[in-house]
Amino acid sequence: MTAPVMAPPAPGGVALPRRRRRRATLARRRTRLGVLMVLPAVVMLGLFFLWPLTQTVRMSFYDWPMLGEHTWVGLQNYTDALTDSDFLAAVGFTLRYTLIATPLLFAVALVLALLVRGGTRAARAFQTIWFIPVVIGMAAASYLWMYLFQPDLGPAAAIGERAGLLDASQNYFATFTSALVIVLAMVTWKVVGLQMLLLSSGLQSIPVEVTEAARIDGAGRWQAFRHITLPLLRPTLALVLVFSVAGSLLAFDQFFIMTAGGPSNSTITAVFQTYRTSFIQFELGAGAAMSVLLMVVLAAVSALQMLLLRNTDNA
Amino acid sequence: MRRRVRRAAALAAAVVLGASACASGPGGGGDDDTVTLWVRDYQKAIMGTLADEFNATHDTQVEVTLVPATSFVQKLGTAVAAYQGPDIASLDLVFAPYFASAGVLADVTERVDALPYADDLSPAHLDQVTYEGRTYGVPFTGDVSVMFYNKTLFAEAGLDPEVPPATWAEVQQAAEAVAALGDGTNGFVFSGACGGCNIFSLTPLVWASGGDVLNADGTEALLDSDEVGGALQLYRDLYDAGTMPELVRTDAGPNAASAFQSGTVGMRFDGTSFMSTLVSDGSVDFGVAPIPGQDGGSASFAGGDVLSVMTGADNPDGAWEFLQWTTDRDAQQVLADHAILPIRMDLLDEIYVPQDPRFAVFADALSVGHVPYSIVENELFNDNNGVWAGLVQDAVFGPGSVADAQAAAQEDAQAILDKAND
Repeated sequence: MTAPVMAPPAPGGVALPRRRRRRATLARRRTRLGVLMVLPAVVMLGLFFLWPLTQTVRMSFYDWPMLGEHTWVGLQNYTDALTDSDFLAAVGFTLRYTLIATPLLFAVALVLALLVRGGTRAARAFQTIWFIPVVIGMAAASYLWMYLFQPDLGPAAAIGERAGLLDASQNYFATFTSALVIVLAMVTWKVVGLQMLLLSSGLQSIPVEVTEAARIDGAGRWQAFRHITLPLLRPTLALVLVFSVAGSLLAFDQFFIMTAGGPSNSTITAVFQTYRTSFIQFELGAGAAMSVLLMVVLAAVSALQMLLLRNTDNA
Repeated sequence: MRRRVRRAAALAAAVVLGASACASGPGGGGDDDTVTLWVRDYQKAIMGTLADEFNATHDTQVEVTLVPATSFVQKLGTAVAAYQGPDIASLDLVFAPYFASAGVLADVTERVDALPYADDLSPAHLDQVTYEGRTYGVPFTGDVSVMFYNKTLFAEAGLDPEVPPATWAEVQQAAEAVAALGDGTNGFVFSGACGGCNIFSLTPLVWASGGDVLNADGTEALLDSDEVGGALQLYRDLYDAGTMPELVRTDAGPNAASAFQSGTVGMRFDGTSFMSTLVSDGSVDFGVAPIPGQDGGSASFAGGDVLSVMTGADNPDGAWEFLQWTTDRDAQQVLADHAILPIRMDLLDEIYVPQDPRFAVFADALSVGHVPYSIVENELFNDNNGVWAGLVQDAVFGPGSVADAQAAAQEDAQAILDKAND
């Protein structure tokens, strides 16, 4: 191969706009530096998010077994998913779980955040105590709680019996309601600390003067909370609720480990069903379609939440 | 293949870190004498020992990669699909038909037939590596299901600890006697929400009574047969009579074994590795017996691993060298020394059984071992939310009758088989 001969640039063409170019270069250099700085993040995003995402979308249009040839089937996987009673049941359960978990977590987190508001040493100590479970992995926490409530074996069941609340030999994972209550208790214990932290930082950003002024004007505690604190907390609320809803819609580990989807497959979540389709039935294409559907729902719900919780007071 | 992986890894590292390609991989092996092998993580000790022995005596070097047991099939499948799989895979034998049917296991029919001890390999393992008349691997380790019973509790309950139950009626009777001791004792324990556990431990009841869960070539489900119904009815009766702890309803594996280990349970059906656990634990005085049929006889699930060469292997001859070595006497001796059931029927009495009188039960069980043959084993039996696990749940604990649960499961199972075999 011969190297192509590059014509040297005509001297006149360069010389003329030199001054203008230098000024432009300064701005351009800054831009270039900026681009360079974000490049690693862009590459990471592309490699670990955009690329897998486009692959997933592509796979969802194929009959794609784990091994062997894949064939184009168009929207077949989507129509299958939307008529598959197992998948629809899983989606239904996921929505119900989200509707219970989100307000529960939010209420507990808000109460905790208000309790630790003082900033005293005791308040800070409690803040730490409530935050500790957040750093435990979801899977580890699930195994821990599953063991705690195991009939005849679990300490929590035994303590509950001594307190006259539980029957140690009864299997609380064997009925839907009691199993769900234990999972919800575990999830609350596990994630409420983070929400508390977010909410208390939101509370701290509310100027004391505003609340004081309201008090002077004769507002009661509840009125001040309802008309001052909550509206000013709105951006934090949006953040916390979007986190919480996304987390609940994507629930998997806690049910996979603690209830294994039981009793009678009543606690299978949407992600759980996607996992079964992809990695137990080995139908990656159908699983990809379910993932895409879930992603669309998640994006829609999050967008709606942002819209509803947008700060419209100043408008 | 390895080189390609390494290059991709290096490329990714270079792109992400903005550094020059510095990842040359560990050890700098990758020459033609190396073969890669994937095995489930809990076999770390034995596979490590075998690899060391092999590497010390051969030019070919085997490199072992441990893969988490719960995701082994998925990881192997996706790696093979991306041409990044190993040269050899140590497969749970029930998955061999699936991988063979997908064309990712190398045909080793002639090489296996040429082995001087070809006829002495575990027949159940050989069945599983056979697909459409060709052989796609060799037996590697044995793991059979048998009955473990607590001799101390049997004696306390007035049963003869040296005469374990040999019929279903005797199982029921023994379970009730132990449960009647009170003070938190139970007669029987199993994992009611675990598909794989129950294909391993419950189906021997069916086989020993002359029935089966699938026909021989895996095209027809037999879940509505009388023998399956009888076995499920036995479990239901055991549960209804209050001989089981409540955890059995929801246990997907880990807790039922602990219950027996705690010394409060009379009987449990489990495999060879459970014996090692109990021996090293040392707290339960236990006996081992075959899993009985309805009116006598016995059967077992012949589980364990098979070794297969992958079709994409860089070094198929080196891979076969290792397969051949593992089935020969030296390697089988290593297995036996580690209390793992060898798969050479001709060597069992010489190298394995003398170590412990209870091992004779395992050796006998291997010779009467069955395995359901199916390319959709995972979906049909191993899925904890699938047809088989659902059948056990509904039949043993459900509000409806055993027969109704069987009818529903039969229909679902047949639909899955028809879809897979068309």
